[in-house]
Amino acid sequence: MTDVPLERARRRRARLGVDVLASLNLVGTLVKYLSLALALPLFVALIYSESPWPWVASAAAGVGFGALLELVTRGRHRVGVREGFLVVALTWLLAAALGAISLLLSGEDQYARPLDAYFEAMSGFTTTGATVATDVRDLPHSVLIWRQFSQWLGGMGIIVLFLAVLPRLRVGGRQMFESELPGPELELSTRIQDTARRLWLLYVGLSIAQIVALTGLGWTGVDERMNLFEAVAHTFSTMPTGGFSTQVRSVEEFAAASQWVIALFMVLAGANFALTYRALLRRQPSVFVRDEEFRLYIGLLTLGSLALFVELLARDLFAGEAAVRHAVFQAVSMMTTTGLVSADFNLWGLLAAVVLVALMFFGGSAGSTAGSVKVIRHLLLGRIFRRELDLTIHPELVSRVRYNGRPVQGHILRAVQSFVMLYVGLFAVGTFLLVADAARVGLDLRLIDAVGAAATTLGNVGPAFGFAGPMGSFEPFSDVSTGVMVVLMWAGRLEIIPVAVLLTRSYWRN
Amino acid sequence: MRVVVVGAGQVGSTVVEALHQDHHVTVVDVDSGRLAVIGDRFDAATVEGNGASRRTLEEAGVGGAELLIACTSRDEINIIAAVFTRKLSPGTTTIVRTTDEEYLEIWHERYLDVDLVVSSERETAIAISQTIGIPAARQTDVFAGGQVQVVEFDVENQGDRTPSDLPLSQAAAQAAARRGMLVGVPLREAALPANSKVATIIREGKIALPRGNETIRQGDRIVVIGSPAAAQEWGRLIGSEHRKVGEVVVYGAGRAGLATARILIEEGISVRIIEASETQARRAADLLPKARVYHATGMDADFLERERIGDAEAAVFAMRDDAKNHYAATLAKMYGVPLTIAVVHDAHSVEVFERAGVDVAINPRLITAEEMIRYAHDPRTEQVAMLEGDRYEVLDITVRPDSQLLGRPFRELPMTGALIGAIVREGRAIFPHGDDVLQPDDRVIVFTESARVPTVVKAL
Repeated sequence: MTDVPLERARRRRARLGVDVLASLNLVGTLVKYLSLALALPLFVALIYSESPWPWVASAAAGVGFGALLELVTRGRHRVGVREGFLVVALTWLLAAALGAISLLLSGEDQYARPLDAYFEAMSGFTTTGATVATDVRDLPHSVLIWRQFSQWLGGMGIIVLFLAVLPRLRVGGRQMFESELPGPELELSTRIQDTARRLWLLYVGLSIAQIVALTGLGWTGVDERMNLFEAVAHTFSTMPTGGFSTQVRSVEEFAAASQWVIALFMVLAGANFALTYRALLRRQPSVFVRDEEFRLYIGLLTLGSLALFVELLARDLFAGEAAVRHAVFQAVSMMTTTGLVSADFNLWGLLAAVVLVALMFFGGSAGSTAGSVKVIRHLLLGRIFRRELDLTIHPELVSRVRYNGRPVQGHILRAVQSFVMLYVGLFAVGTFLLVADAARVGLDLRLIDAVGAAATTLGNVGPAFGFAGPMGSFEPFSDVSTGVMVVLMWAGRLEIIPVAVLLTRSYWRN
Repeated sequence: MRVVVVGAGQVGSTVVEALHQDHHVTVVDVDSGRLAVIGDRFDAATVEGNGASRRTLEEAGVGGAELLIACTSRDEINIIAAVFTRKLSPGTTTIVRTTDEEYLEIWHERYLDVDLVVSSERETAIAISQTIGIPAARQTDVFAGGQVQVVEFDVENQGDRTPSDLPLSQAAAQAAARRGMLVGVPLREAALPANSKVATIIREGKIALPRGNETIRQGDRIVVIGSPAAAQEWGRLIGSEHRKVGEVVVYGAGRAGLATARILIEEGISVRIIEASETQARRAADLLPKARVYHATGMDADFLERERIGDAEAAVFAMRDDAKNHYAATLAKMYGVPLTIAVVHDAHSVEVFERAGVDVAINPRLITAEEMIRYAHDPRTEQVAMLEGDRYEVLDITVRPDSQLLGRPFRELPMTGALIGAIVREGRAIFPHGDDVLQPDDRVIVFTESARVPTVVKAL
């Protein structure tokens, strides 16, 4: 507020290539509006006669902090492409902080450790769905709905949400949009704001459809455990490919019909929303068949389901419809990076675990709410490799990598390669840190568990193996490991590159 | 007929050469030197000026002309000349030459108000692919939307497949015919491919009408009219070296090269393209996903060896430079490519290339001119192919309702030195036999000597 820090900042800014103050100003606005989302848990708290104060207080803190940030940096509104990276990175860190504060204020024992609360909130917003809660049955309805709701907000992207409603973000928003929702052919309109609006329209539409379908199953008595609260809570977990559940045993608690409905919506959530938009709202269902990524996506889902199905039969764990259902549900849930579970796959053996980890690395389609590497990158990477091999034998060959018949620009191919390298590198470093830290504190962590935990957090999937398995909790991890996984979730959700550029010198230099 | 020809280059002068004796031809060009050459060689008026200028066109008399042929090397000038002519004189038929296939496309979609657009690249590509499809064919002309082909073959040495150079004894001929042989066997005995006729046999520059006791001999040039399948079959029987073409190498990814590659790919032939310019090579790779494109000169022995270029059944040389095409073709031949086809640009190159051992040389300008001249003939004549320079013609004529020839079986028709190769009735091609009968509104494909064209047109 005083002029001294401003003056100092101004002097530093002369050497900086990024307008930090303008970025902070926008971040303040975003945090302020995001805090309004706490109205939903407040509303639920009032219905179930739970204490409204944690929600009122954290909302006030969020609005106050945002407004203060705006005030300190007032007058700075020009956010360009470069500032976009900083805005996106900071907004996601602060969104998780807002979530963590409300969890801390709720006074629940399970969130007593601040870093655990931050992990839980980050896991929500990044739609990971990994939890430190040991028994969610003890949590009040308002906390449960807030965990679920934070996933739903983070699913389509916080910035994408505000792009749709805040006129301020019109310029420079494209970069931020691409950081949150990358992928080719996403544009549904020449104006980024219209695109964001249409995506949210579809997202809300599909969510309502799922709530209606699940509630219908409850009301007709098909699924006695399903009611409006559970339907909303699990839709908030399905559509953003999150993974939090209101039940300790996740979706296992619900009837087969509900599991099938959830599996179907997971498949939709992991498909490119631009395709779904064209298929549903412009009545061009053939776009799905013509899209190479979608075909590979469905192909991989089928293959993964088959592999699990064969294993379930071979190990005599399930039979008939149940075997099909659990194989499909788990394959879809892992590949779309949702993380809801219909059965405890900790009991399925190592081979199933390997298949599930492999599926975690595929992820959903570009332009979906899913995380991880994404199918299109695998598709392009495969074609890049094939071309490289071809070129070794025929050095003069001029060959273009194509996607849907069109040649892909060289810079996109380079971005795909560096993304995959960064992703694998970060995964390796994360695994190493988890193993090393487990050794330090004497935690019993098998290698497959460490691999699972790193892959599941970086890919925003949810469950890992061992104690952090589908019915378990991440609570046993030390603070250091929890911190590592928070970073993995954050970097994974923003697809690494927007976060990684912040660590480069050339980003900050004028 | 009054004809205005815009452009006095190779295409223009070929057109003038073909038309100046029977028609009043005016030639327009910006280059007075070219006009002087034309004026010296042919009986044609000349107007110096830009063909895209209204004043020049009026001076050349497009107002009173029945036909405008715009054949400069610049597409846009040709199109503007045709558009102006359409405004100045709506009754004038307009023919436009283009080097860009896109103009051909938009003309087919009726966005260009021009009577005929001839694309040099397209015509060249078709000629090349037909040469490859029927390896021994010198020239192929297509009628009735591809249902009827007129194909010219050179009968070459066939090694031990040919019993003898001389006519066989009757018993030997019958034995040879049973073994599926054609050469040296009297036509009446030979097992000719169905739906086809030998239109003529040209021996030592003289035309021989194919009577039943005539035989095809080595060194003959024969013209066959028939269905595409029959033409293929003839190619197989006559071809000096027949095999199914599976792979073709195209040198040069310019317009002619790309157009050829595209047509070959459409025919299911696998195509490799060699292009020395990187940007051109990339463009080719973008445009033709199914082709394998190499960024190389094609003159490098190491490259040819490594990529097994010699394994290709045919190679097309469509680079810009005739000399490079010539060298590359010779090299490819050395590495074992059996069929080499060169696109040549200089008027005299065809002979140079063929004499130097390139199997077929195609001059896009001559092909373009030929296509335009066809259209310029009798208005009822939809297509006129020129064979053997312009000594023989194939006419595509609709029979008049009052023709003397209607209602009479073919075997009773008078011998007028012309041969009806095919009838197109209700859009379908019929290859007539002795007891078929002509009906009013039939379209007939007739092969005849140029001198007899008026007689034939009159009789039909």
